[in-house]
Amino acid sequence: MSKANGAGAGTISYSLFFFAFLFGPLIIMVVTAFNSSSFPRITPWECFTTDWFGVLVGNSRLMGGLGTSVIIGIGVVALAVPIGLAGALALSELSPRLRATLYTVLITPILIPGVVLGISTIVFWGLVGRAFGEDYASAFYNGLFLTLIGQVTFISAYAMLIFSARLQRFDPTLTEAALDLGATPGQCFRKILLPFLKPAIGSAAFLTLLASFENYNTTVFTILSDSTFTTALASKVRLGTDPSLSALAVIIIGLTLMGAMVHEAHTRRQSLLRSGKPKISPLYANPVTRVMTHPAGLAVILIGIAAALIYGGSQHDSSVCQANILAEKRAVQEQLLKEQRERIRKQREDATPTAPANGGATNNPSPFGGAFKPGGLSPNKETAPANPSPFGGAFKPGGLAPKPEAAPAPAPANPSPFGGAFKPNALKPDSN
Amino acid sequence: MTAIRNAFNGFVGRHGMGAAIFIGAAVFFWVIFLIVLPQLAMLDYSFRHNLPRADVGGPQDVYTIANYSYFLLGNDSTLQTTDLAVLGKTMLAAVFVTLIDIALCYPIAFILAHSATGVATRLMVIGLIVPFWVNEILRAFAFRVLFGATGVINGFGQSMGLWDVPIDFIRADVALYSGLTYAYILLMVFPIYNAVEALDRNQIEAARDMGASWWRVHWRVVLPVAKPGIASGATMVFMLTAGALAAPQILGGPSSLWFTQLIYQWFNQSANWQRGSAYAVILLVVCIGFVMLLMRVFKVNIGAIGR
Amino acid sequence: MSTRDVVLDHVSVRFGSYTAVDNAYLTIKGGEFFSFLGPSGCGKTTLLRVVSGFVDPSEGRVLIGGKDMARIGPNKRPTALIFQNLALFPLMSVADNIAFPLEVRGVGKKERRKRADGLLDMIALPDVGDKKVHELSGGQRQRVAIARALAVEPDILLLDEPLSALDLKLRHHMRTELRAIQQRVGLTFIYITHDQGEALTMSDRVAVMNSGVIEQIGDPESIYDRPKTPFVASFVGETNRIAGKVISQSGETTTLDTPAGPLSGRTAGGRHYKPGDECLLFIRPEKLSLSPTADAPNTISARCVKEEFEGSARQVFLKAGEIDLRLSLVNSGLAESRMAADSATNVSFTASSATVLPMGPGAETSA
Repeated sequence: MSKANGAGAGTISYSLFFFAFLFGPLIIMVVTAFNSSSFPRITPWECFTTDWFGVLVGNSRLMGGLGTSVIIGIGVVALAVPIGLAGALALSELSPRLRATLYTVLITPILIPGVVLGISTIVFWGLVGRAFGEDYASAFYNGLFLTLIGQVTFISAYAMLIFSARLQRFDPTLTEAALDLGATPGQCFRKILLPFLKPAIGSAAFLTLLASFENYNTTVFTILSDSTFTTALASKVRLGTDPSLSALAVIIIGLTLMGAMVHEAHTRRQSLLRSGKPKISPLYANPVTRVMTHPAGLAVILIGIAAALIYGGSQHDSSVCQANILAEKRAVQEQLLKEQRERIRKQREDATPTAPANGGATNNPSPFGGAFKPGGLSPNKETAPANPSPFGGAFKPGGLAPKPEAAPAPAPANPSPFGGAFKPNALKPDSN
Repeated sequence: MTAIRNAFNGFVGRHGMGAAIFIGAAVFFWVIFLIVLPQLAMLDYSFRHNLPRADVGGPQDVYTIANYSYFLLGNDSTLQTTDLAVLGKTMLAAVFVTLIDIALCYPIAFILAHSATGVATRLMVIGLIVPFWVNEILRAFAFRVLFGATGVINGFGQSMGLWDVPIDFIRADVALYSGLTYAYILLMVFPIYNAVEALDRNQIEAARDMGASWWRVHWRVVLPVAKPGIASGATMVFMLTAGALAAPQILGGPSSLWFTQLIYQWFNQSANWQRGSAYAVILLVVCIGFVMLLMRVFKVNIGAIGR
Repeated sequence: MSTRDVVLDHVSVRFGSYTAVDNAYLTIKGGEFFSFLGPSGCGKTTLLRVVSGFVDPSEGRVLIGGKDMARIGPNKRPTALIFQNLALFPLMSVADNIAFPLEVRGVGKKERRKRADGLLDMIALPDVGDKKVHELSGGQRQRVAIARALAVEPDILLLDEPLSALDLKLRHHMRTELRAIQQRVGLTFIYITHDQGEALTMSDRVAVMNSGVIEQIGDPESIYDRPKTPFVASFVGETNRIAGKVISQSGETTTLDTPAGPLSGRTAGGRHYKPGDECLLFIRPEKLSLSPTADAPNTISARCVKEEFEGSARQVFLKAGEIDLRLSLVNSGLAESRMAADSATNVSFTASSATVLPMGPGAETSA
């Protein structure tokens, strides 16, 4: 009987299909991070390389955005977690009718399109700023402040949902018991309810940080002329892609997997401890497996492996392979240059207005092609100065130029390949 | 008002004055200054002219419906359907993506709740969550890697000799729809999972025992239980898809615009915040109206969202 | 008046239009083990919450030690409540649980631990102080909850069905233990239960409640043997119920005309009946006995339907016309053979062991 619901062939094949859909794109992206081809692809495979990590770290716009994102993220955690906690507490104790109303109000920021939230935030605080007679240098026109406020609006609701889920499992007789034993209401709150919510505070802090970091739709409006990690990333992707983004994905996925493994080890250990089994579990009898299954031990092991991989990767960079490929590439490059000149002459005759964009393509920047010095043609003004790369100084950030293949074809259809975000003036609020 | 005062007194009695003030102040700030007033400000703004700063508050600063009439009539007061068509297409595409997500996620949620056991369940849950810790932009980027003109699929197809000229998946919106389907899949799986998990497994076995077919078991027993979860997931996926900006910007073809991109253009390229606000209000009203309509049709309560 | 007295002075509790407790009036003496017995939803838990201060009475007063408790919160009353689910704090160690009342009163850490250990000794669990609550067995948790309540040094201990989660054997053991603790500490215990066995074995006095009304207050013997209402007669213990019309009433004895013939019983509550009044006669299964003749008064001719052997007793199910009867025979080892099914037999009882009560709505609710 139970076989009908058990793991049949259909179940297994569907699960495999589903997870292939989930992981396939990520795995392919990860693989492209190690191909030296200047466009992220697997075929043709050129050479195994770790240079793209260097390109990534050398991107000052992204790294600057990272700093901004961290500041905003910390601010969002500091605000959204307490606000979400207050919302969940309010919901848990209101009368049913009031609760339904408040729930609807508090949940809408999650449902409202992020674009709308971003707009309403800058409009409202702009009005407030005007009401106080503040100028554009004030906080009301500051991208960091507005992003913080805009993100807190809906990220608090995420935190609230986490706290609500935890609160639903809270036994209200515990509070009554504490009251009955002589505690004041304040003491009940501090000594009973807050300790109970502690794990939820941790996961809410983590999720709000992640949500803040990831957010694009709201942030792209509220950040004004600044940029966060994600908005910098988005404008980079829109401009043209190169495998340094894949390298970023490798780092994020690596961190995620490490986090997931440590978290899993932690929950396993907790459930083992709760069941009182550790004493008889063979894993705990052996000192080696005991250390390996402890979350801290596992974290140390994983960090060690990651460090070894990073070191190995940086060593690989200066290996013989690259020198050999460089010569080979140069020949290919020469060939390409000839062909490109030919094409450009034709296109010049057509007199398309997008000629400069094509000009960028002619140089076909390669990570190894520092000699071709395409940096001057890169739209990424910030990245144009040579950035110190921990992985081999031979190579220049010129590799961040728009993908060469994309430039000739879609350029005419795309009126501004540099995107609105790249015109910082357009993002300034002094539009009226 | 008295209800709110009673609630506040309840908090004081239960958690003490300090906690009650914290709860009251935080919720008040959230509701008033973060949710309600900004939306009202945007609404007000959408009815105003785009004036130079010096004229704001002056005699010319009067209410107007010009920003809304522009949406339908354009500059020359004749019916123009370009923006309307973009809105319609965005809504349709969002519905399409939502339906695909339901079809993809219902089986996996059911498997997760009722077929997988122990380690497999934990692995599947981790496997579901891990991809969504990767930045939204990077997820869209992954689809660009897959579907680009020199992307993995074209590279593979061409090297296998399946086709000669790169297929423009981006122009055909294949990349966009795949990317959007992928982007919010987690928000569909977990609500359905939570709903289906509550179903007593014995009910399924009893139905099977009474000779119901596999199809009928799902239609009559599982689906009614899953309905609130599906409604919750569908609402979130629909709203997020209709309001998506990153994926259309990265994966959208040159000829296809998402409505959010119009709003973005009014703000960042045309520097007309008032009109952008009007378009944002239109998006909000249409989306919420559509969701409310569906909730009415399928008899689901908004209280189920997010559970 | 002792500080451990509790007076419920005409207490009523209403939630909207629903009356949970209706005009409860009673005095619980200091050092008494007092139980409220009744089915779920009868208002007994509400009454307990009124005493502990979680619910304010809609009318009437609660006096503890002669002091009106109005506007005195649960944390200021000399009561300690043991919750049905015990409400031990899962994140604290056992010792921290017991020391919690001292902690919130600002007692120093060392002193707290010393007194917690003392209380753990008292409940005979000296070595569990550093364990977590979930590592204890059900019975141990029970005793820890009592120790925690006693740490407040209350005058009155309130217990809300604390044994209901335990298995049968442990429940019987804890009855004895609770009673022993109560006698050792000399506090007033107010005990809530729906289990008549618990109420009768442990209590000095019992109040039987039904639909918010206290139906009868008395010691266990009088509750069991001399019920004053049809509800008490049928809720407490097993009973046979025979309906009939009053023929005559003489002094303490009322005789009814029943389908099984004229039957007499004790007149409960000094009531007066007219001939023809509809009444019920209640007789306990163990007060019925097999009779050789059918001619003696208070004898019923019946047929045996079935018999159940319980070890210490045998339950015989009989039918006399339309009336179902149950007879309990103690397994005394005397020559009592199994009764054949459908065999005819006679049962009789003494008039003083049966109770006659007026037919009322309460009689219907609990058969």
